[in-house]
Amino acid sequence: MSSTATRKAAGRPHDARRGAPAFRLRFGLIVIAMVLSFFGARLVQLQGIDPNSYAEMAAAESVEERILPAERGDILDRNGLRLADSVHGKMVVADPVMTTDDAPALATLLSQRLDVDYFKTLARLREDGSQFEYIARRVPSTIATDLVDELSEAGYEGITLRDDPIRNYPADDVAANLLGFIGTDEPLFGFERTFDRQLSGTDGTARFQVGGGNRIPLGENTVVPAKNGTPLATTVDMDLQWFTQRVLAQTLQQYKALSGVAIVMDSRTGEVMALADAPTFDANKALEADKDDLGSRAISDAYEPGSVEKVLTASALIDAGKVTPRTRLRIPPSLPRQDRVFGDWFDHAIIRLTMAGVIAKSSNIGSVLAADAFTPLELVGYLQKFGLGQRTDVGMRGESAGILTPGDVMTSQTKDRVAFGQSVSVNAVQMAAAVNTIANGGVRISPSIIKGSATTDDGTVVGTDVATETRVVSEQAARQTARMMERVVDPEAGVAPGAQVPGYLVAGKTGTAQRVAPTCGCYDGSTTVSFGGFAPADDPRFTVYVVVHAPQVDGGGGSIAGPAFSRIMGYALSRYRVPPTDGKPSRLPVEW
Amino acid sequence: MSSSAVQIRSRGSRIASAAVEKARLSVVPRTRTRAPKVPFVTLVSLILVGGVVGLVLFNTSMQQASFAATSLEEQATNLAAREQTLQMELADLRNPQRVAAEAQAMGMVVPPAPTFLGLDGSVLGEKVPALPTDALNLAPPAPIKPKVLAPAPTIVKVMAEPAPTSKNKKPQNTPGRKRH
Repeated sequence: MSSTATRKAAGRPHDARRGAPAFRLRFGLIVIAMVLSFFGARLVQLQGIDPNSYAEMAAAESVEERILPAERGDILDRNGLRLADSVHGKMVVADPVMTTDDAPALATLLSQRLDVDYFKTLARLREDGSQFEYIARRVPSTIATDLVDELSEAGYEGITLRDDPIRNYPADDVAANLLGFIGTDEPLFGFERTFDRQLSGTDGTARFQVGGGNRIPLGENTVVPAKNGTPLATTVDMDLQWFTQRVLAQTLQQYKALSGVAIVMDSRTGEVMALADAPTFDANKALEADKDDLGSRAISDAYEPGSVEKVLTASALIDAGKVTPRTRLRIPPSLPRQDRVFGDWFDHAIIRLTMAGVIAKSSNIGSVLAADAFTPLELVGYLQKFGLGQRTDVGMRGESAGILTPGDVMTSQTKDRVAFGQSVSVNAVQMAAAVNTIANGGVRISPSIIKGSATTDDGTVVGTDVATETRVVSEQAARQTARMMERVVDPEAGVAPGAQVPGYLVAGKTGTAQRVAPTCGCYDGSTTVSFGGFAPADDPRFTVYVVVHAPQVDGGGGSIAGPAFSRIMGYALSRYRVPPTDGKPSRLPVEW
Repeated sequence: MSSSAVQIRSRGSRIASAAVEKARLSVVPRTRTRAPKVPFVTLVSLILVGGVVGLVLFNTSMQQASFAATSLEEQATNLAAREQTLQMELADLRNPQRVAAEAQAMGMVVPPAPTFLGLDGSVLGEKVPALPTDALNLAPPAPIKPKVLAPAPTIVKVMAEPAPTSKNKKPQNTPGRKRH
């Protein structure tokens, strides 16, 4: 030590100002220790105390996470045409802080391009203290992007776009009551809601690092692809549905009726090809419609079917061997039974009708007399097999099962009324399927409106794949009933010549029933008129059922619903190229 | 004898010494072939430079590809959106309501009874003339409006300090708001 010090002192005198080496070493050590302890403290702070927030801050700098919206499945008609489809859309959003100055010019442009109101837009662009104002929602993406490009070229700022998928119903009100619609945030009513799980799909996500607007090639990149919704295929025919709706709406207008239903069913498969509700609504402007019109009355309204039900009684009686179409009945002007007197819709002295005549002339008394051969249990047993009193589970929301008193508690008075369609209530789809049983040779096919199969929100599987067939009456009984129903549209023998489709054999039955007003729960004097039938009668292809509630113009099932039936049936036959059959028209005697 | 013996001895020692001489190990002179340094250094630096340049180029091309991918993706999105808009327009054009309105404007109506023309010229079905009265009423029914378009405001009087008894006034029902 001493030698160094001597050498230093001797050789390098200028080093003396660095001070003593011992001091220097200690001082250096302290400095290093201090610096290192700072590092250590910082390390503990970063890694020990709150490591995640820093990782997140780092990620937020460059990592972008995006939701990949799943596309909602289309709803298709039987030919694959879209009844509802989804389109990429944008919402146009303004930041009034940036738009206030250019508000008039911007409002002019926006109102021209986006079909929005100029003054409302102007007010929104100038909204005080807001940084987020909707200008337009559900704008097709191309239009929105073009608009924003145009705006940024012109030097305007503060208008931005955000994803906002559009649900579009290309045919407006066609099948609107079946489809339902999408509200602001969620599906409401109809298939949109019932099959939402299938239609909506699952959103995906994409996480990637971004630099200058571009993805960093070797950076973090995770993509969970979106699972698009599965399209829902229905058995509805868009054009036929449209025609049915227009004819029904016209009938309602002409007869100043409250509401109505028309159903076209494929006789052989039970597929519902058109189901019109009136009044209806435009699915693209659903929020402007009356709330009562948004559901489907065809499935939710239970009403008394009236005389259309007589064909079910008649075919059951024939099947049980109690009557034949030629069974002779003597019909008195009125028929007193225990608690009330039955009458017919037309005044008559004692007339002599065959069973075919009872159907053709729609005689209540005749039906009651013929049904005397049945106990309540037998009649109800048949009607249950026709599907009355049970839900059809066709896949539509809010189905009413209708009311059919069980046979073991049914009094004979009630049975008398049930025999001609009173004291029993049905929904329109139920009744159409029941009439279709006659068309299909006595085999009831459960109606379906979904092609293939789909699961409803309550877990029921519905659709053509799960349609069931049950024999209700023998084929012969069904054929004979059809022959009797042909007499209904006969200009001389029947009551509904207006339901005839020229050139075809048409089998049908009118119905005029007293209507229970929902407001008082009593018969209020209004009626429900209906016509159900099928054609060609000897080889049925279509079953059409038209119901009109509370017409304010005098008329019955034959005069009000009959012509609508004829038009809808004629269109269906022509559309599906069903030529007239060579069968001979029914010549069953109606009187004796 | 002795001389020969000496001779032999001396010869022997000579051989031995020669052998010894031969057997003595000596250090081989170091042949220090100094490889030229330049090519090696050049090679290494070439590999280094090449690697760095290659990496930079690779990175650049990746970036380029990323730009291209971003712009192509954007293009794909735009095209998909355009396709959808066009399909939407097509669907609007296909709307049965529009087709029917145009057809009726041209004087066409849906015939009340279908007729079929056979290949042999025969006509199946009853010939019923299609009349202008068969035209459908295409106009939608008038929208249902509430009876009172601007209903009187619902006034609820709330006291500043509600009394414990049921003195609070019930909200008044506004007339004419049956349908919405």
